Order: sequence, then structure tokens, then C-alpha cells
Amino acid sequence: MSIERIDAELCIGCSICVGTCPVDVIRMDSKTGRPVIRYPEDCMCCYYCELECPEQAIYVAPEKSAPLMVSWR
Amino acid sequence: MAAETVIETEVLVIGGGIAGCFAALKAKDRGVDVVLVDKASVGKSGGTAAAGAGYMVFNPEWGHDLELAMRAVARNGEYLNDRDWTETILKDSLGTYQDLLAWGVDFPAGDGAIGEQYQPLDMKDSSGMRAMFGQVFIRRGNFRVLARQVGACGIRTLSRVMVTDLLTSDQGVVGAIGFSLDDDRIFVFKAKATVVSTGASSLKPVGSGISSLTGDGVAMAYRAGAGVTGKEFPSKFVTLAAYPQWRSYGSFVGYPRFTDAEGGNVELRNVDNVGFWDLAMDNAIHQGKGPIFWNLETATEEDIGAIREAVLLSEGSDLMIRRTALTKPGAKIELAGGAGAGSSDSMTSGVWPVDRDCATSVPGLYVAGECCGTRYVGSVHTARGFGLTGSAVTGARAGRGAAGYALAARRTFVSDGELASAVKVLRGPIERIGGFTPAWVTQLLQNTMFPYFILSIKHEKRLQAALTIVEFLRDDLVPKLTARDSHELRLAHETRNMVLNAEMTLRASMFRAESRGQHYREDYPRREDPFWLAWVRLEETQGRMKAVRIPIPENWWPNPGTSYSERYPQRFLGEQL
Repeated sequence: MSIERIDAELCIGCSICVGTCPVDVIRMDSKTGRPVIRYPEDCMCCYYCELECPEQAIYVAPEKSAPLMVSWR
Repeated sequence: MAAETVIETEVLVIGGGIAGCFAALKAKDRGVDVVLVDKASVGKSGGTAAAGAGYMVFNPEWGHDLELAMRAVARNGEYLNDRDWTETILKDSLGTYQDLLAWGVDFPAGDGAIGEQYQPLDMKDSSGMRAMFGQVFIRRGNFRVLARQVGACGIRTLSRVMVTDLLTSDQGVVGAIGFSLDDDRIFVFKAKATVVSTGASSLKPVGSGISSLTGDGVAMAYRAGAGVTGKEFPSKFVTLAAYPQWRSYGSFVGYPRFTDAEGGNVELRNVDNVGFWDLAMDNAIHQGKGPIFWNLETATEEDIGAIREAVLLSEGSDLMIRRTALTKPGAKIELAGGAGAGSSDSMTSGVWPVDRDCATSVPGLYVAGECCGTRYVGSVHTARGFGLTGSAVTGARAGRGAAGYALAARRTFVSDGELASAVKVLRGPIERIGGFTPAWVTQLLQNTMFPYFILSIKHEKRLQAALTIVEFLRDDLVPKLTARDSHELRLAHETRNMVLNAEMTLRASMFRAESRGQHYREDYPRREDPFWLAWVRLEETQGRMKAVRIPIPENWWPNPGTSYSERYPQRFLGEQL
């Protein structure tokens, strides 16, 4: 996982995280008015949502969910 | 199908990073109507979100010498810089820095007064004289003030709207088409002039935090008829194998001790420590000496403190350090190459500007930032703030230029039939029932382009093999991309753009039959002067991508009285003197 959880008790539904994510991982759930991690496979682990969250409701784990695809190993 | 929303403006700016914000603000200053659109969020997206640390300022009042600086940049970039652009960006850098201060960017190392908070950055010229530049520091996240400034100036912004193509009439670029990530709505922009400032072209590398920089602007401009340059110079980054999102290159530079599997030192391969520094690692890997380690065995607590400081400065947070917990004295940390694999160099590559206003060969189309190919640092990625400053300066110039063009232009637009076909291309992946997912095609592209022996250590045979695959992706898979929703539609268009950028990278790499700067050809391990004192420009000719050699002016050549090894202090593997 990369972005791991949005704490429902802390989240105030301000949607800053949705607007912060450069790669569109988080979406607002229109029914609950709360953000959901809709496309975790595209998380690039930049931490921006966690850093911008005013309620410290988001946790981003450092491990990449996908296997490492690199130039050399 | 949702109804189209039509937005009419004088200047359309696509991409809201530092270049796009400067373009929008400077265009607005000239009294035209401006719309700024971004596929994520204005002031927060792409490279700007990841940008921190250095902003280069050249200021004679701080003792900087223009002649000396020009010689140093030329030497560092192995004489492939466009000196008119180098001089322009050096001279404009102070003005853009003053703009940032006026808009409220906080420079943490000082009290905000000009000249109080810069660190000297030095590069030598070929006689060993040290040219000085200023490097001021900006914390990550500080560019949010750009979005605030854009809003305060009455510029209309649209976030989470991805532009997929420019619209062209016989008069040039007359607008663009895109869609909303939130409600699938199609947006049609009618503009007298358009600035493309969508950032660099990467292939969604693991780590780096630049997965949104998929070369959209370069691809759109190329499809609209503009020329593209600098694609043979790859952007080369290194990251931690266990935690690939580690992207604080400053921390490596701050403690540059690397060893191979046998314990041998791997030297930084670079002129004056300003870039070009991991080809030595690729060489060691190529010789079977991997893996490479960031070796902290003899690091002191003080060294670790300095690494933390570097991370804090560029990230605005020590989350990365705390969550990875690897940097401690005695550690040997395995590195992995290619966090930026597949990317073209952000400063050198991009759409070819035809004048100092960042106009292109297509009327009405302007380019700024990392998709503007000013070539102002030449063939080597010159770190330490040159990227941000180049983006600000080209942004400001493109904005003023586009506004001037818009004030004189008469409004035209594409025919209904042409608009309908553009909508069809945009919605293709959504309408299609069967086909291929963008994630899979992207993975195939990464598999083809990322290995070190394609873009780090190049050879004609391997480049040709990769090109054969990329052409197959282009012709057989991209036309069959599918998307279930707006998120995947974005991925599909990004994939289409990345495949086109990969083709450019491979063709330019095959065409330049020499080694220079970040472009290393194992089959041609020497610089070829004067034949390759030239740029490569890619152009579409009769539906095919063609590479053209553009010689640089003779008065910009290195002094022929100097020996080869004086002109080029860096050695390539296999290079005979």
C-alpha cells in the first residue's frame, strides 16, 4: 500500500486531499460526503495528502504497493 | 454523452505549475482575459508540488560575472547550450525572484530581503575560474502562494480538467479540448493564444513523485505541428531500492559516498557537482559490479544531521526520514537506478521555441517551463535551482508573448466537423468496449524503456529493438486503449502521450551518433566535434517523425585551440583519447 487510510473519526470532509493529490487517487463519496481512497494503485507515495490534511487524518505508508520497476537493480 | 462546456478566452494556459502561473499572471498584466487549466490543482500539481530547495538567481550586485557565468554553463553543458537563452534566463532570474518575494514566497534561509539568503553556487569555466550564481532556497509547498496570486488577479482557473489535445485551424492553434475528472464533462476552449506549460515528460517512474508529468504538452504541441528538441538527453535519478519514493537528491549530494558490491568507490561523475552524476553507477552495473550502495559506514551523527536537513529543506517535512528510518551511521543502503527512468531532461528537452517570447513554429502556440526546449543548460542536467528559474522565466515570457499575440489576433475556430472528430478521439477509450487497459500498456512501456541498457547506456541495436516495441504500442495498443471512468480516461490519454514521448526519445537517441553530456552511446563513446555541435529537432513530416540536425552557431563552439580532454574533462566508458 501507499496511502493506507483516511481516519473516519478525524476526517471533516473538507476535500483538500482530493484537490491535493496530483494523480487523482482520492475521490469524494457523494453519499457520505467523505473522501475515499478510490485508486490506490496509482498512489506515488508523495505524502502531499497527509501533509496537507488539516486534521492529520491520513496515513501514507512508505512501501510501494507495486513491485519496483527500475533501470537496474 | 455529457454536453460540452465552451469557454472562450484570449489566452489559455494549460498546466498550473510555476511556469503556468507566471504565464497567466504576466498575460493578465497586459490586460487580456486569461484562463488557467490543470489536470490536478493549480499551484500544487506536477513538478511544482515536488519542487523545493534551489532557485537560481544571477545578480551582478552580488558579484556575479556574466562572461564567466556564460563560459561555465557552456563548459558544464558541453557546449550544447543555446547561449542566447542562457543569457536571457540569467538576466531575467532576478526579476522573477523579486516577483516571488512580492507574492509572498517564503525563503526560509533568511529574512526575505534580497541578497540576505543565498548560498553561492559555483561552476568553473575551462580555465578553472569559478563563476558564481546565487541559489536561494524555497521550501516545498511554498508555491501555493502562486495559486493565491492567480486567484487574487482575477484569472479564471479550472482544476481537475485534463486537456487532451490542442485544436488547430489553418490559422494555427485556436484552442483546446479536455474533460473534467469529476463529472466527465467535455470542455472546449476557444482561445486566441495558448500557452502549454504542462511540465516534463516522465514515464511514471516509481519514486520521484512526478507520475503526473507524462509529457502531455510536448505530445499535444507535436501533434499540432511544433518541433521538439533535446529528447536524447535522459533525466537520470537514483533512489533507495527498499523505499523508491525517496527523492531527496540533495541528501545524496550532501553525503556522496557510494560503493559497489566489491566495496570499490563509485565516484560522482560530474562537472563541479551540478549534475550528470549517476552514469558512473550505471557503468558499474553494466560491468557486473552491482548492486550499488549509499555507504554511510563512516558517516558521523553530524553527517546524518546534514542529510536530514537536506530532506527537510526539499520536502518541507521529515516524514520520509521518519518512515524509512534507514539513514543512520553504519548503514549501507542499496540503491536502485532510474527513479526518473524514461524521462527526458526537464531543462533541455521540450518544444522548440522560435523566439525569446517562447512562441513556437505554430502560430498562436507558446510553450513554457519544462516543456519549453530552451536548451539553456546544454546536454547536462544542471541542478541547484536552474530548473525552477528557467520555468519561471519562460513562463513570464510566454505569458507576455501570448498576450501580445492575442491582442493582435482575430478570433477563429475549428469547424463543427473537426470539433466532432476531436471529441471522438477524446472519448475513444470510454466508448470502446474491448481493448487494453492503460495500466498494462504503461507497464509494457516501462518494461521496454527503464532498463539501464536502453537510455543510460545506449547502443543502436538496443535502441532499435526498443523502438520496434514502442512503434507496436503506438500502432496496435494505443488505438485500442479502454477506460471505465474519467480516472482511467486520464490514464489512457497519459499513456498515449508517454508512448509518443518514448518514440521521440528513442529516435533522437539513435540519430545523435556520438556521446555528450547525459547522452552516452556505447557504440560512439566520444564527442564528435564539430559535426555534433548541433541540436536534434524532431518534426512530423508526412505523418512520420523525422530527426533534423540543427548546427549551433560557430561562434559558440569551444575554442579549437584547446585539446579534447581540456574541453571535455569527463570520460565516457570505452572512450579513447
